Amino acid sequence: MLEIRFQGRGGQGAQTAGYILAEAFFQTGKYVQAFSTYGGARRGTPVSTFIRVDDKPIRLRCDIEKPNVVVCFDPSLLTGNVLNGADENTIVLINSQKSREYFREYGNFKLYTIDGLDIARKNNLGRIVNSALIGAFAKLLNAPELKVVEQVVEELSPVKKAENIRACQDGYLQVAGA
Amino acid sequence: MTAHRKLLSGNHAVSYGVMLAKPKVIPVYPITPQTPILEKITELQTAGELDADIMTAESEHSAMAACITASLTGVRVFTATASQGLMLMHEMLHYASGARAPIIMANVNRTIGSPWAFWPDQTDSLAQRDCGWIQYYCETGQESLDTVIQAFKVAEQVMLPAMVIHEAFYVSHSVEPVEIPGQETVDEYLPPFTPEHRLDPAIGESWGNVVNQEMYYRHRQDMGRAMEHVCDLAQKADQAWQELTGRGYGIMEEYCCDDAKVVLATMGGLAGTAREAVDILRQKGLKVGLLKVKLFRPFPVFQVRKILSAIPKVIVMDRNYAPGTGGFLHQEIKAALYGLANSPEVHGYLVGVGGVNVSPENIMDLVNRAMAETAFPESVWVG
Repeated sequence: MLEIRFQGRGGQGAQTAGYILAEAFFQTGKYVQAFSTYGGARRGTPVSTFIRVDDKPIRLRCDIEKPNVVVCFDPSLLTGNVLNGADENTIVLINSQKSREYFREYGNFKLYTIDGLDIARKNNLGRIVNSALIGAFAKLLNAPELKVVEQVVEELSPVKKAENIRACQDGYLQVAGA
Repeated sequence: MTAHRKLLSGNHAVSYGVMLAKPKVIPVYPITPQTPILEKITELQTAGELDADIMTAESEHSAMAACITASLTGVRVFTATASQGLMLMHEMLHYASGARAPIIMANVNRTIGSPWAFWPDQTDSLAQRDCGWIQYYCETGQESLDTVIQAFKVAEQVMLPAMVIHEAFYVSHSVEPVEIPGQETVDEYLPPFTPEHRLDPAIGESWGNVVNQEMYYRHRQDMGRAMEHVCDLAQKADQAWQELTGRGYGIMEEYCCDDAKVVLATMGGLAGTAREAVDILRQKGLKVGLLKVKLFRPFPVFQVRKILSAIPKVIVMDRNYAPGTGGFLHQEIKAALYGLANSPEVHGYLVGVGGVNVSPENIMDLVNRAMAETAFPESVWVG
């Protein structure tokens, strides 16, 4: 089973990103489970999205304590419990313009960064970084297939479909350290 | 449309169950984490998939009052709520069962204030266990969808309302593959609601007049008699559903209980995590089983006695808590086993109260702990 945690703040699209990723895995024939926990639907409060992917039905109904992947939408969250349970085998993807070396002090992980904000702005998406991060994720995990991810981004983006697909492709190409 | 599979949250799965059951009136008031149920129902109505009057009320109390009056006119009625909303409905919950209105309501378990929070905790609905409503606790979105349809079938046979309950986030906001049954299947399973008595000026019947002591006594007795049929009818309704769709849940489920020396007992989403713990412990050679209690009201006393009679140890896990009482399921299971020869030792642990995470490792620790200690009469805090 692949266990993934997305950490963001309300309004950043971490929840939507989790669901897009779940849908993409689902469309490639996997069993998935994705859920979010948050303290009320408010902008700015921390939101955790949990995604499980497996070849058989998923029965667990609990948080992911030992993630295979952590995607952090906001480096200001790194001082909290965002990296709990992550170890040297965990892929940690951070949305930041800073280099991987800057985050080494947080621990020994398979660390990658992506400047999601830059990609979002260049694609006329303002501060919405989720498509870029999904693209970067697909590159790092080599799954789901980029074509399927693009298809799901198109299906599920309420507006600016073409811009979101481009941001996803940019994220795929630009993730640092891959 | 024929049966098809898609990714749905537990809440949206409920909405599709509602659509297929074709209620005519849906009085609503939004509350986290239930609101997506009503949002999707509204979308389905707008898209022409659901032909129902959706009434927005000024409070949950008014929403339930509207449910009762609508139901008494002889139409199928649905609503949904959670936590504080359910608390505000409390007076009307008794009124609904007393008026023999077979309303179906989804409740998404969420902590009750104060202090204010949004986490999965079953105390909100369990505290309504004595309101005369049937209560089902569901583990997955698929189960919630299927149970909404089953609940209408059962409730309308006994003329009592029913709650279909799942937990916040772990089920309500969990997106998973769900099969949406075909409309023909549901139509075959669930006949139109045509009650013998209904409020209709053309017929001239009424409800709500003042009664004397004996009439009240007889009315309560009738409610009790109706409730006595529910275990049997719910079992049959589930079997019929299984024959049509291949999916059945029973009113309680025994998982690996056959040769078990110790049985975990719980409700809702925790059962899923417990299955994983049972499998791991079995691999290690420990004969553990799981009893998932789905129907909580009426409490299936005879089934519980039958299943647990030969089991040496039972470990009840409650994601709920009543100060001064303890865990609700712990209390109910102890009461159900009273007077049974060779009654098992019943351990009650308060886990996951307030939405605290419960992992398979936590559950395995609990089993090890219970194996090493003698059961206390009261529920024990763990973690």
